[in-house]
Amino acid sequence: MIYKVSYVVVGQPDLGEIVNLDTPPRVGDRVTLGDEPCEVIEVIDLIPPRENFAYLHVTCRPIQKAR
Amino acid sequence: MSVTALLHNSELFSTLTPEQVEKIVALGHQATYNARDVIIREGDPSDEIYVICSGMVEVEVARGVIPDVSGPPRLAPLARLGKGQVFGEIALVDRGTRSATVRCVKDGTMLYAIPRQALWDLCDGDHTIGYVVMRNIAADLAFKLRHRNLQMRLAGG
Repeated sequence: MIYKVSYVVVGQPDLGEIVNLDTPPRVGDRVTLGDEPCEVIEVIDLIPPRENFAYLHVTCRPIQKAR
Repeated sequence: MSVTALLHNSELFSTLTPEQVEKIVALGHQATYNARDVIIREGDPSDEIYVICSGMVEVEVARGVIPDVSGPPRLAPLARLGKGQVFGEIALVDRGTRSATVRCVKDGTMLYAIPRQALWDLCDGDHTIGYVVMRNIAADLAFKLRHRNLQMRLAGG
């Protein structure tokens, strides 16, 4: 399965990525978007899977806001 | 990993057979970019679609452009695209000029560039390939629209 992932960051509309991953992200993961270290706070199925693709939406927040 | 395998892992071509993907590989060429290289520029004529084999690019649009004020426009980032993603597909579909500037953000980013007219000709000549490619382009554009909608929804924090 290939995971096509849409990352967005709360409060920062200019930060965001779309990328294919081999493993799905999980809540609590740390990722760097742009130069911003972020924490994954939600992972949802954006649309139903098709063929060998799963489509995920990941909401993140900057690490400093999480503290 | 071969270019055929890399393209097969892109949503755009994932449901084609390896033989069909080979026909697409035969149309294009690899290109490598370094951070800050501009790959396509908003407003320029378009002639290729790109698949990201590795690395990362950033999509930017000009904001606040005032015709009578000289100087370069302020570019605002829309999104970053990584492995397996495509860009340049809007101009593939509508044949217009580039709708955004795309800049490389990681050294050694590898792209596969496919000439627009050659891909159109292949799709016109083989409707099975054409249907799959156009359906997958539509799905990719819809995904990007959903991504942007969610970005805007969360913009207020």
